[in-house]
This record gives sequence, structure tokens and C-alpha cells, in this order.
Amino acid sequence: MKRVIMVFFILIAILGYTTVFTVDETRQVVILQFGEPVRIIKTPGLHFKLPAPLQVAQHFDNRLLEYDVSPEEILSKDKKSLIVDNYVRWRIIDPLLFLQTVQTEPIAKTRIDDIVYSELRRELGLHNMSEIITENRELIMETVTKQSAAATKPYGIEVVDVRLKRVDLPQNNEQSIYRRMQAERIRQANKFRSEGEEESQKIKALTDKDKTIILANAYKEAEEVKGEGEAKAVDIYARAFSKDPDFYEFYRTLETYKKILDKKTTLVLPTNSKLFDILNQ
Amino acid sequence: MAAKRRIIIGDSEISVPEKLLTLGIFPIIGIALIFWLFTGVYTVGPDEVGVVQRFGKYIRMAQSGLNYHMPFPIETVKTPKVTEVKRIEIGFRTIGKNQYRTVERESLMLTGDENIVDAELIVQYKIKEPINYLFNFIGPELTMREASEASLRTVVGRHNIDEALTSGKLMIQEETKELLQSILDKYETGVQVVAVQLQDVSPPKQVIDSFKDVASAKEDKNRMINEAEGYRNNVIPKARGEAQSMILEAEGFRESRISRAEGDVAKFKAILKEYSKAKDVTRKRLYLEAMEEILPGLEKYIVPSGEDGNLLNLLNLGGTKGAK
Repeated sequence: MKRVIMVFFILIAILGYTTVFTVDETRQVVILQFGEPVRIIKTPGLHFKLPAPLQVAQHFDNRLLEYDVSPEEILSKDKKSLIVDNYVRWRIIDPLLFLQTVQTEPIAKTRIDDIVYSELRRELGLHNMSEIITENRELIMETVTKQSAAATKPYGIEVVDVRLKRVDLPQNNEQSIYRRMQAERIRQANKFRSEGEEESQKIKALTDKDKTIILANAYKEAEEVKGEGEAKAVDIYARAFSKDPDFYEFYRTLETYKKILDKKTTLVLPTNSKLFDILNQ
Repeated sequence: MAAKRRIIIGDSEISVPEKLLTLGIFPIIGIALIFWLFTGVYTVGPDEVGVVQRFGKYIRMAQSGLNYHMPFPIETVKTPKVTEVKRIEIGFRTIGKNQYRTVERESLMLTGDENIVDAELIVQYKIKEPINYLFNFIGPELTMREASEASLRTVVGRHNIDEALTSGKLMIQEETKELLQSILDKYETGVQVVAVQLQDVSPPKQVIDSFKDVASAKEDKNRMINEAEGYRNNVIPKARGEAQSMILEAEGFRESRISRAEGDVAKFKAILKEYSKAKDVTRKRLYLEAMEEILPGLEKYIVPSGEDGNLLNLLNLGGTKGAK
């Protein structure tokens, strides 16, 4: 009797183990009946199925999955070679289709790789390098994402995002960029230096000009002042001397003699000169 | 004492009271049940939050402290650290205290004007919505790293090199944060970007010297201008001083000229006054006085009038001064 109960419990346990199963928040499940999919379960929690050999639960990830694509060399429209490193975020949206077409994640990834790579190459081939690097990068990648999503749909896969992680140039192109950068900087440095020279010359020349003007103006003013003094003096003399011009001449001549005759002068006096008038008498 | 039964398990031996075995299976089941119920006890740390799942389905959140969930495998709990600020480094790695190693593969990037800069970035983030964070995506570390790198490069690609190196840094930082957050929201990661910090942004080391030379050229320019200004500041005041002194001198000349004229005139007037009293006498007196004053210092020869022919002989008398 005890044995029968034991066996019964064990059977119940086995039955329970194979018919009851849980679906995690991160999972989705396809129920297979003799290999034939019969049900898709996307709601997490406790679920039931027929015992093991009849029905089997196949679990798939329900989360956003990653795929890091290895860097590829791709040509842009203007025939420039770019090393493009991108990543893909994707999820299984239709586990049934997924199961029927690619089965496992590693296979799915190779499929995604093929699709994304060809879409990327096609799309980047339509744009010039500068667009890819700069303004249009996001737009381009949106297109690639959309097209990749459409192409992976038959596999039950949704490509959520294809994003360029890095866009680099091949080694030798990089060198030429460095050379260009260097040339550009040398140009700038020269520009600054010659601007400095120019400014400096300008300031110095302006300074010299201002100096000349200041001195010339001062000369002008000084001469005016001097002239004024001279004129006034002349006026003063003229007014005084015109009272008796004859006497002025006499007086001024004597003054002049005093000044011009000095010790170095040799004077020859004829006796009939005015000085000797009295002697001669 | 009750009899004991010896049970051999492997190479060790334990003795169990006979009574316990005769109790049958039910006490054992009871004890096991109690142990089983205890598997539901868990603690949530102060920096964590408890996320409880029943049969894999999210059921409730638990706050910090001692908590209970239905025993395994009915309910399980995950306790992500929600207050912790995590950090990732782009372009370099910290390898010990104050020691860094640059990762050029990550840090070198193209700018909008097709130049290359070397930029390093730190991203700080934390879990904002633990449910999304736990259940919506895989590889949080990798996702953060890839999204950060993609954001930074996209944003640097929008700017030219001079912006990236100087004034545009803050803008790049802000735009990167915005873009990164929008990507993470699109993936429904439940992650909040706390801060994005651009560390060093510099020209690549292959060309850094020419960049430095531009900086020193800028300095040279300023220096040259300063020197010229110095020259100006030296020359102009001097010129002004010179001008001032020229004018002052002229003014002095004017005043002296006038004063002298007035003096001369005053003297003349005084003499004229005397003269007009007795014209003839005064005239003679003035003449003689002048001669008295002049003649003593001179070398003189007095010759009779009308004998001009002898003038040459007279000159010979001088001895030293004479004709040869």
C-alpha cells in the first residue's frame, strides 16, 4: 500500500515537472507538438502544456539583443575608403518565424551581418564622405536601420537600431589628414605672426606720423608766437623812433659803432674826420 | 538513553536516536517545509531595490530592509543597485590610482571638417527604472559603452576641430548627453545618464607641435602689438613735451622781445627828451662819448687827410699785420 502511494507521488511529480513551466520576463516560448509549433507564449508567468514527449517548450530571448559587427572597409560615393565599425540592436519579434528560419541566435547574427553589411554598403555608397562623417550620419543610419528591419522581418527579427560606432580612415589616408592639419596650422601660425607684424608696423608708423604732426604744429605755433613778439617789438620801436627819425639814425649809429668795433678792429682815422674837426681848427 | 542507530554516509558515521526514525517521514517533511519557507527571506540593501518575480512574472517591488517572498521557486527576487552611479571611460582606462592608459582606437575621431581630434569622455549613469533595466535588454555594460562611443563620435562629427578644441567643448558635452539619453530611451533601458564629461580634447600627438606653434604665434602677435604700443607710449609723450617746450620757448622769446623793445624805447625816449632841450650840444656830446668808449680798445692810425697814397706804408708799420 505504502509503495503504491510512493509511486503515485513520484508519477505526479514527473507529470508536474513536464507539464508546468514558467516563462520569465525576459523570455518568450514556442510550444512544439511533435516538432510542430502549436502555441506562442509571450506573457510571463506560470503556464501548462502536455507532458514531455508530446509537447516541448522552446525558449527564446525577449530582450533587446546586441550584435557588434566587426569593422569593414566601405567606399563612399566620392570613392573614399572608410573603415566603418557599427553595432546592431535587434530582438526576436516572431519566435515562430525565427524558429522556422534561423533557429538560434548565432545563426541569426550571421544573417543580420549579411543584411546590415549590404544595406550599409549600398547606403554609404550613395553619400559623400563628408556627409557620412558629419551632418547626415544619423539620417543615413536611420535609413539603413529601416531597410535592415524590413529585410530581417521574414526571419522574425526586428532590427531596432544600426548605429555607427566609429568611422575612421585607413592608415595612409590618416597620414594625409595629419599632413593637411599640419599645413593648415602652419598657415594659421604664419597668419598670426604676419598680422602681428602688420599691426606693429601700423602702430609704429602712426606713432611716427603723430609725432611729426605734433612737432610741426608746435613749430607753427611757436613761430606765430615769435612773430607776434617781433611784430609788437617793431611796432613799439617804430612808434617811438618816428618822433625824431633824424636823431634816431644818429643815436642808433653810435650804438652800432659800440657794438661792431672791438679790439680786433684796426681803425684808420684821417685827420679831416669829424673827430678831428676841433684839432684842425 | 534511547537506543541509537549508526548510519554510515560515505566514510563518516553518524548516530541517530532510534526514536527519530520510528517517527516516520512526516517530521522530516515538516522540517524540510520550514527550511523551504525560510528560503523566502531576503534583505534589500540601502542602495538597492527588490524586484520580485512570481513564476518569472514581475509582481512587485520591495524597499530596503528585511523582506519576504514566497519560497523558491514560486517567487524569486533580484536586487539591482539603483542609487549607485556607474561610470564608463571612453578613450582611456584608469589603471590604478592616478594612472591612465589611453585607448587611441577609441579616442581618435573625425571632426566635421575632416580633421582628427583626440577626445576622452567619462559617462556616469544610474538605473532609473529597474524593471526596464533588468528585463528589456542584455549586456548593460556593452550597451552603455557602444552607445556612448557612437554618441560622442556623432556629435564631434557635427563640429569642426576648433570648436572641439576650444569653445565648443561644453556644447559637445551637452549634445552627447542628449543623444546618448535618447538612444538609451529608444532601447528602453531604464538607464539615466547622470553626467557626460569631456576630459582632454587635444590634437593627435602627430600634429600637436604645429598646434602649439599656432598658440605661440598668437602670443607673438600680441607681443609685437604690445611692443608697438610700448613704442607709441614712449614716443608720443616725448613729442608732446618737446612741442610744449618749443611753444614755451617761443612765448619766452616773444615776451623778451617786447620787453627789450620797451626798454630800448624807454631809454631812447629819455635821451630824446634831453636832446630836444639842446639839440646841437647833446648831439656832439653823444658823439664824443661814444668815441671815448670805442676808441681806447682799438688799434688806430691817424693819417693826414688827402694823403691816401701813403696808406700802404702806414699799414707796414704794424709789423706783424702787414703786407708781405
